Amino acid sequence: MQMPPLDPAILARRSEIVAALRAIVPGEGVIDDLEGMRPYECDALSAYRQMPLVVVLPETVAQVSTILSYCQDNKVKVVPRGAGTSLSGGSMPVGDAILLGLGKFNRVLEIDYANRCARVQPGVTNLGISKAVEHEGFYYAPDPSSQIACSIGGNVAENSGGVHCLKYGLTTNNLLGIELVLMTGEVVRLGGKHLDSEGYDLLGVMTGSEGLLGVVTEVTVRLLRKPTTARAVLLGFPTEAGAADCVAAVIASGIIPGGMEMMDKEAVKCAEAYVGAGYPLDAEGLLIVELDGPPVEVDYLVERVAEIARGRGATTVRVSNDEQERVLFWAGRKAAFPAVGQITPDYMCLDGSVPRGRLVEVLAEMREMSKKHRLRVVNVFHAGDGNLHPLILFDANDADELHRAEEFGADILRLCVRVGGVLTGEHGVGIEKRDLMGVQFTEIDLDQQMRLKCAFDPDHLLNPGKVFPQLRRCAELGRVVVHHNKMPFPDIPRF
Amino acid sequence: MQTHFTLAQLADPETARSNDILRKCVHCGFCTATCPTFVLLGDERDSPRGRIYLIKSMIEDDRAPTAKEVRHVDRCLSCLSCMTTCPSGVNYMHLVDHGRHHIEETFTRTLPDRFMRGVLAYLMPRPAAFRWAMVLGRLAKPLAPLLPATSSDPGGATFLRRLRAMLEAVPDKVPTPSPVDRPQVFPALGVQRKRVALMPGCGQQVLAPEVNEATVRLLTRLDIEVVNVAGSGCCGSSVLHVGRNDQAIELAKRNITAWLREIDGAGLDAIVINASGCGTTVKDYGHMLADDPVWAEKAKQVASLAKDVTEIVAEVGLSGIVPRPLTVAYHSACSMQHGQKLDALPKKLLREAGFMVKDVPEGHLCCGWAGTYQVLQPDLSRRLRDRKVANIESVRPDVIAAGNFGCIGNIASGTGIPIAHTVELLDWATGGPKPAALI
Amino acid sequence: MTTSTIKPRSPEELRQAVEWALNDGTTLDVRGQGSKIAFGKPMACDQVLDLSGLSGVVDYAPEELVVTLRAGTPISEVEALLAQRNQMLAFEPPDLGPLLGQEAGQGTLVGAVMGNLAGPRRLSAGAARDHLLGFSGVNGRGESFKSGGKVMKNVTGYDLSKLLAGSWGTLAVLDQVSVKVLPAPDQTRTLLLLGLDDAAAVRAMCAALGSPHDISGAAHLPGKTALRIEGVAPSVEARLKALRELLIDLDAGMEELGTLESRAFWREVRDVAPLKVASGSVVWKISCPPTEGPAIVARIKALRPSAEAFYDWSGGLIWLALPPSADADHTIVRGAIGAKGGHATLIRASEAVRAAVPVFQPQPAALAALAVRVKESFDPKRLFNPGRMG
Ligand SMILES: Cc1cc2nc3c(=O)[nH]c(=O)nc-3n(C[C@H](O)[C@H](O)[C@@H](O)COP(=O)(O)OP(=O)(O)OC[C@H]3O[C@@H](n4cnc5c(N)ncnc54)[C@H](O)[C@@H]3O)c2cc1C
Ligand SMILES: Cc1cc2nc3c(=O)[nH]c(=O)nc-3n(C[C@H](O)[C@H](O)[C@H](O)COP(=O)(O)OP(=O)(O)OC[C@H]3O[C@@H](n4cnc5c(N)ncnc54)[C@H](O)[C@@H]3O)c2cc1C
Ligand code: SF4
Ligand code: SF4
Repeated sequence: MQMPPLDPAILARRSEIVAALRAIVPGEGVIDDLEGMRPYECDALSAYRQMPLVVVLPETVAQVSTILSYCQDNKVKVVPRGAGTSLSGGSMPVGDAILLGLGKFNRVLEIDYANRCARVQPGVTNLGISKAVEHEGFYYAPDPSSQIACSIGGNVAENSGGVHCLKYGLTTNNLLGIELVLMTGEVVRLGGKHLDSEGYDLLGVMTGSEGLLGVVTEVTVRLLRKPTTARAVLLGFPTEAGAADCVAAVIASGIIPGGMEMMDKEAVKCAEAYVGAGYPLDAEGLLIVELDGPPVEVDYLVERVAEIARGRGATTVRVSNDEQERVLFWAGRKAAFPAVGQITPDYMCLDGSVPRGRLVEVLAEMREMSKKHRLRVVNVFHAGDGNLHPLILFDANDADELHRAEEFGADILRLCVRVGGVLTGEHGVGIEKRDLMGVQFTEIDLDQQMRLKCAFDPDHLLNPGKVFPQLRRCAELGRVVVHHNKMPFPDIPRF
Repeated sequence: MQTHFTLAQLADPETARSNDILRKCVHCGFCTATCPTFVLLGDERDSPRGRIYLIKSMIEDDRAPTAKEVRHVDRCLSCLSCMTTCPSGVNYMHLVDHGRHHIEETFTRTLPDRFMRGVLAYLMPRPAAFRWAMVLGRLAKPLAPLLPATSSDPGGATFLRRLRAMLEAVPDKVPTPSPVDRPQVFPALGVQRKRVALMPGCGQQVLAPEVNEATVRLLTRLDIEVVNVAGSGCCGSSVLHVGRNDQAIELAKRNITAWLREIDGAGLDAIVINASGCGTTVKDYGHMLADDPVWAEKAKQVASLAKDVTEIVAEVGLSGIVPRPLTVAYHSACSMQHGQKLDALPKKLLREAGFMVKDVPEGHLCCGWAGTYQVLQPDLSRRLRDRKVANIESVRPDVIAAGNFGCIGNIASGTGIPIAHTVELLDWATGGPKPAALI
Repeated sequence: MTTSTIKPRSPEELRQAVEWALNDGTTLDVRGQGSKIAFGKPMACDQVLDLSGLSGVVDYAPEELVVTLRAGTPISEVEALLAQRNQMLAFEPPDLGPLLGQEAGQGTLVGAVMGNLAGPRRLSAGAARDHLLGFSGVNGRGESFKSGGKVMKNVTGYDLSKLLAGSWGTLAVLDQVSVKVLPAPDQTRTLLLLGLDDAAAVRAMCAALGSPHDISGAAHLPGKTALRIEGVAPSVEARLKALRELLIDLDAGMEELGTLESRAFWREVRDVAPLKVASGSVVWKISCPPTEGPAIVARIKALRPSAEAFYDWSGGLIWLALPPSADADHTIVRGAIGAKGGHATLIRASEAVRAAVPVFQPQPAALAALAVRVKESFDPKRLFNPGRMG
């Protein structure tokens, strides 16, 4: 992975920068010894690693603001980091950049049940929010599989989704406001407890901006009341196409399930061996469909889904009869990644998104690629919204396999774009998909995005080397070429 | 995750095992969120994933760790919450034992640190010496307030701060030794259904002799013959957690010898342990001695017989229940829920015995006791205790129950709500005396 | 001031038009259907850019829940198409024509998206911003670009769709959009609570929304508080019953509206019909934390007793009509919002008033400066709707 060349001038000033940070953050909050920085050298995409210039762990918004304005004045780069669970290398350090960790911002600040929202610090975990309100029957809807550990700040930066996003939306649909520190050190608030913004929807832009635009220091999320009941249906199909058809048919019939997940045969086998969820081992495609709401509605919809599935040739139709069984149905899906981890030293998790109607064709083509690259691939994914998670199995201690896995991954993502999909549905571009951005976007598209970046961070100091394949200076991007009166009025109807 | 051990390094069985453990870790970070020290400090170095990295680096490079690396490994409570959370089955317990061992062998601690650890490692496994130390400690206890209550280190790991913590940990009254803690046989009250050895333990018999007494009453009432086997004693966990593997292994061998003699003699259905910290260690004897051809099999045999007292009670079933309508907040000791994966069982028994049992919020977090930890990292320990107490008090219980005497003493020091060992409550509900804490 | 109208017939013609405007230094008044409704800062543009020539549905796959259309497609056409397949635009774009002194039933979908409009279902389904999946268009440099896509989940690059939604055409001119659609509910029913005052009504609405009964509309009109429940028949029945039980302690009279009545009722709420507006009165739209709504209205009424108001979004959206005044009472209205957060937008007022008063809520300096930089990153020469949001 090619990262931008390190700036020798910054490296030369390292001790001065460390001293400046120590003046801002006392105690153990500045880490500059090699051994101490090592645990920070990567996020959950551990195939890519780089040591930071120095790690700083501020505790207050004022400290974050002072650090950023110092960095702006001294042109020092900054990589924000939440819980370090990114799968795209989003929080991977950069050698001439400060790694700004938000782990100490872990307090729930306010819970407002009447207005159904919670105000929390960015380091609070996704699950931590739901835990804080569960005794009142509420929860925070987006539920990435990493919810036990990932931070809400990281969720905002990646616009994370999960199994239940099909019905309840992604992070961006469940946010009410944030507090944000700009690279200048200015602290601004976007949104609050009210809906919609008074000007440009910068809250919307910040969500999914992968730490390139500002550092989030507070988040206000929408809370939802837990549905009265939820039941899961396990549907096994003799072909993957049957399963994929069923997904389309359920949605076309007007049902939006709480979640609709698919696993291929290999994934079913691994999950079954790992947790014993009772999955049918003969199925080529397995669907888990969850329906939630009042009991009468759930019963009614369960029956309709089962009927649709039978019509599409399902060989297994099992409905959970109690909460324990529902949890068991999900246990296999939830443990699918580690389960696959049992049959391979390493795996690479991809995240393309495709139109639902193209699922079958994409899966078939992926198998062909698997032969070509001589690596196995296992599929576990959010079928309801067409978000694939192919897992490529390889051994990181074998350089050639790592290389082939990367090639294979890139081929899969190109395929996703070719069928009208996108490179990433929820894990973000980071460094992992950075060099493929050109597959989905033209240079003009990317320039426009980078200009927006310039509006927030004119010196490209925040999270450098991520998302954009090549960075152009803002001055260059900002130039407007005007050919005064050189172009005749075009031949367009005019009144 | 990727590792870089040489073949020569991998020839060492301990290193080879650690390599396997490291290769299983996918660096997902799930474990960080449920680690008590990460929850308090928010620094990756104070998290399991960070410590795995620190340990990997020191054993991979085969070098002495830096003082800072040691500081972060030292802050680990060995609560094993990370192992419960890890979806990939990474055995952090064995890795951190290797890390501590490596630190002990390659790193020179400061003199006061060595002194403190030496004293603890000497006293903890020796009940008689430990008792005398408590008696002496009582005389010195009034001096505690003269020592600093905070320190420059967030863990409180400075000499004077630790000294204060040590004095504060001394109970105001040291109970007289209990007659049950001498080698002997307690016959079943009715027709004998099982025969078990009771692990006598070390610290517990000095500080809380009533636990063994209640255990003997409860088990014999349930028609189990209980033997206190001569020669058995401390399980070795307290010294293991400060990196003294050799001393721990000696203690393990002593226990194994004693119990095997009994197994080969009158026979044993189980070795019953009522301090869950010890239970975790005895159940792991097989691993501890795996590389010793003479002891490996014997250790495995003993480990397979080790049971928490609640497991054996569940096997025979409770009977003769006199329900006590109290609300119990059950504190699941780390060694119980994470070490032995026994979380639901003790609660089930308490419910069967007629108590209203409530779960404690953030139940997965350690109470901060963790053996010698409360002395070595007093500030972190105190913060965890206060957090635990606040969580317990939020469910408004009449009484708190736990299956580990260390947690009991630690939690009791922070709240006015009575606290008793699970067996004391079960004993009471089946005809035994009311636990002292409730009187 | 506007001199003439230019009406491109293809995306390329649109691009050429903008490029020409850039070179010529001509500002553009971007219009969907050209329904020239008085909103925003009055603008003095050299040229009208009329997008009604770029009309029609490009692609509609009901099972994908996505419709892709040209930017000038009338909203009525889209809604009719979706209705055939029992689907809908879940954000319920309002038709504010009548409120703004125009005919009903006009306007383009992109026009509604550009205003980030949303009706009562904003509460449960989100606003236009939550439904715009992707677009293509022309920026102020005369360059065609795209963002987003046609799939539900997408985090590839910045989410420019959110930014464009609600930008009132000041950042780029769109030629095509992909919008998420949802199945239309089988049934729509309404529980009416009678006789509650504002504070009690908002408490009741918040309690209902805090229940598991999946409320998709909560509005309080004078004397009448309405809660909407939608879905399949058995579910609607059960939830209505549960909701009545939940609210029994209020001692309010209760009535129910059936599906047809409900649809008509909520359409009126959507289009702000319940607001009593005399000719000449100014209309404000206030967004606030739901529980703050009644206090804000009370503060305004203390100073302007003849103010008329009703609440949508469980109290979080206030539609307010005030008697005519030179400054639209903007200091009173914005002063009433207080520290708990929120914002007020002047929706209807004479051109002179709109020229004199900030139509959009003024922002703190750092944020306002950022907004200017964002505008310049798309439209450096300020060709599009100059001053509309300023
Ligand atoms: C000027 C105006 C203000 C309004 N204010 C409100 C309000 O505050 N609250 C409310 O609820 N309803 C408001 N409405 C009503 C609502 O916007 C209409 O019902 C909607 O459907 C507009 O469609 P249109 O095509 O007639 O509007 P238009 O006037 O054509 O468009 C509305 C806005 O969108 C922009 N726009 C339109 N098409 C494009 C395009 N292809 N690319 C870029 N920009 C485009 C325009 O520049 C304008 O800023 C307003 C309508 C208008 C016209
Ligand atoms: C096993 C596993 C399963 C996963 N499953 C899912 C899933 O189902 N759905 C899903 O969407 N994701 C999933 N993820 C990916 C990951 O958990 C999410 O992307 C998550 O949101 C990252 O949060 P974090 O706190 O770990 O952020 P980090 O990894 O620390 O950072 C991620 C990005 O956010 C930026 N960032 C972090 N905090 C801030 C802040 N406060 N201000 C500004 N920028 C910030 C960083 O710079 C970086 O670019 C999974 C990851 C793992 C390891
Ligand atoms: S054992 Fe406990 S303290 Fe140690 S790393 Fe694991 S969770 Fe953290
Ligand atoms: S949870 Fe397990 S696999 Fe994940 S980082 Fe922790 S130890 Fe490694």
